[in-house]
Amino acid sequence: MTAADVIVPEQSDPPTGRPERPMAARNWRIGITAAIIIAAMWSWTGLDASFQDVLDAPGKGWNIVKQMWPPDFKTVVDRGAVGKIFESLYVAWIGTMIGAIISFPLSFFGASNVAPAALRVPIRLLFNAIRAVPELIVAMLLLTVTGLGPWAGALAIGLHSVGTLGKLSTEVIETSDEGPLEAISAAGGTFIEKMRWGMVPQVLPTVIGYWLFRFEINVRASAVLGLIGAGGIGGELVSQLNFRNFPQVGAVLLMVIAMVLIIDTISGFARRRIIAGSGRKIDDDDHNASTEALAGLLLGDSIMRPNKPND
Amino acid sequence: MSDTAAAVTVRPRKPRPQIRSYVLVIALAAFTLFAARQIGFRWGSFIDMWTNPLWDRFWPVPWDWVFNRHNVFDPLIETFQIAIISTVIGCSLALPIGFAMSKLTTPSTPVFWVSRFVMNIVRAIPDLLWGKLLVTAIGIGAFAGSWALTIFSLAVMVKLFSETVDAADPLPLEAARAAGGRHTPAVRTAVLPDVFPAYVAYALYVFELNIRASLVLGLVGAGGIGRVVETQRSTFNFDRLLGILIIMFAIVIIIEQISVAIRKRLV
Amino acid sequence: MIVFDDVSVTYRGGVQALKNVSLTIDDGEFVVVVGLSGAGKSTLLRALNGLVVATSGSITVDGTEVVGASTKTMREVRSHVGMIFQTFNLVNRTTVMNNVLMGRLAKVPAWRSTLGVWTAEDREHAFQAMERVGIVDKAYVRASNLSGGQQQRVGIARALAQEPRIMLADEPVAALDPVTTHQVMGDLQRINRELGITTLINLHFLDLARHYGRRLIGLRGGELVFDGDISEVDDDTFREIYGRAITPDDLLPESADA
Repeated sequence: MTAADVIVPEQSDPPTGRPERPMAARNWRIGITAAIIIAAMWSWTGLDASFQDVLDAPGKGWNIVKQMWPPDFKTVVDRGAVGKIFESLYVAWIGTMIGAIISFPLSFFGASNVAPAALRVPIRLLFNAIRAVPELIVAMLLLTVTGLGPWAGALAIGLHSVGTLGKLSTEVIETSDEGPLEAISAAGGTFIEKMRWGMVPQVLPTVIGYWLFRFEINVRASAVLGLIGAGGIGGELVSQLNFRNFPQVGAVLLMVIAMVLIIDTISGFARRRIIAGSGRKIDDDDHNASTEALAGLLLGDSIMRPNKPND
Repeated sequence: MSDTAAAVTVRPRKPRPQIRSYVLVIALAAFTLFAARQIGFRWGSFIDMWTNPLWDRFWPVPWDWVFNRHNVFDPLIETFQIAIISTVIGCSLALPIGFAMSKLTTPSTPVFWVSRFVMNIVRAIPDLLWGKLLVTAIGIGAFAGSWALTIFSLAVMVKLFSETVDAADPLPLEAARAAGGRHTPAVRTAVLPDVFPAYVAYALYVFELNIRASLVLGLVGAGGIGRVVETQRSTFNFDRLLGILIIMFAIVIIIEQISVAIRKRLV
Repeated sequence: MIVFDDVSVTYRGGVQALKNVSLTIDDGEFVVVVGLSGAGKSTLLRALNGLVVATSGSITVDGTEVVGASTKTMREVRSHVGMIFQTFNLVNRTTVMNNVLMGRLAKVPAWRSTLGVWTAEDREHAFQAMERVGIVDKAYVRASNLSGGQQQRVGIARALAQEPRIMLADEPVAALDPVTTHQVMGDLQRINRELGITTLINLHFLDLARHYGRRLIGLRGGELVFDGDISEVDDDTFREIYGRAITPDDLLPESADA
């Protein structure tokens, strides 16, 4: 290598035909990695913790986990924990319903292939604005101001779901096949008939899949809402934690985990049935799409392209 | 030939919807009504919740207070720090664990099942519950919040990433193994380039998630701006609260726009 | 009767798809429209039922002026004009029956179509349309589970369910293999003969046009360059329409039997 440099110095075009190693990409990589490391180090300074704290933390955590065993189901069940689990489920379900019922009609008017810009832009802004407000904050405000309890939690979850589901449904509608709509126009159909017979059958399976996904997420959200007093199992967890009743905490945690996993399983099964029922075989693509949809739904954004409904 | 097509004249009977579907629809409707009753649903509350006089106390926003560095800006910085360090650590750890959790690249079957099992459990506990748990375990503050978000973002990230790895092209890995590569270098050279763009996209996603989570972590004592929100709420300073909310709102929108822009360039 | 009088269509962006086209089509005719892609075939058909709005000129369908017609008039005209598409344009996720019933939309009150409460008469029309193209046994099968040829027959049945006086077919066989192509073309020909429906078909392949057409319309660059009986068509006509000599690519790949 050095020998070559001696023989052909300063030559930009090596006679061997070997291209030079592209440096730009490499420099970028080094730069970005450095930036990430610096950002992380800066963040570390703000945490007000020593290196010793980091080493101690797992021990402290483990210490608590040990105290949680064996979990004391009897006490928490006597205190009505099962009912609170169900209350969390009700809150999540009603929230999802509110989100689905309000977002579905709205999402048509947010889609570029259906609605004019004058209608579309405000509706999209609405969806985005709703998504940007954490549901926990909304629930907290509703709770403080109205004193409503679980119903305030369901409303907060519902409102947030309008934003996320609205955005996703709009994207499904926008990627739909225009052909059937044209066919209905050609047969003399009205706008409503085009939507009812050309659009809804195309998009509904995918959209219902999103509703179920959102329900899964909302179950988690409703479990959290109890932390701020909006009812459900979260409240029980907080009171047990505050009194440091760790066996009871362990029991409540296991109940939360069971609830979440059971709902995920049932909902996942239903989603697969709906995809299969819509005339497509479940394959790797669906699997993949579902992962990406999960990513999307956590934020209510879509990293994925919604399934093209027509293949 | 074309005439034979018209020969089929037997009209099929309309398939009746199965009783199961009726039962399902009725059951879901009944469940909805029941659930609504249980949580205290009232149509009237749609109206009278907005007429509550307390809403008047949200205005005007005391911008002097909001823009006082000490009140909002410093806790916001803390929020960012929690989100950044959790994302960096969580996503870094997710790279090896994600590979371990994919059938394609797992070093051994026990590792595959154990990591899957553990991560599924971790993911089943929502981020804020992690916050509350860790505050109890290691004390109030941003440090506990960072642990909580690190753990949760790790669990989300490995799920997303491992399924991307599952879908990666297995042939290059086969080739690398055929060339006598050890497991880790083989995965590094044959699979990582394929899945890395997705990894970066998901990492940005997790960062967004963490920003949003860290804004509210303070509600359970885990540091950041949420701590201020909780204090102002409990002292009924709703006007200040609205000011903080507007700032939070702006931050979420800005971060999302940046993230979307970067992800667009990645694809 | 369909009358095009000096019709021009200019798309947004300035592309002129039809230039001063005038022609008359009598009831019951079977007309094939040929031309290169971009010659204006598709625009010609879509101008007739208003899916594309003519920029100038006049189009009358059975005496009703289409250019500048109100939405209501346009729907009325469309209800008598069936259309078949190159890409079938079915709703794949629903049944063949539901797809065919879409042809009845203009005939029923809005509440019926919205709720999907069809009358027995509507269903009867749908069944008859399916029987005519031999897909009645698939009535309750999802459209996505059918082959391409079967899907196009659903498209034809949907158009037939309209009880149309005019049938427009926009490259109906472009997405089909040679054997199904002949089946579908045969169906269209038979429907034209049996029901006397005026039929306009866009085709890319000239030999198909020769085989099935009676009257041939040639378009080139949006202008009418040929309008006459199929028997008058020779290689010169071809050169006029396509701007070059005929090549094997312009002929349908040899199929088993027509």
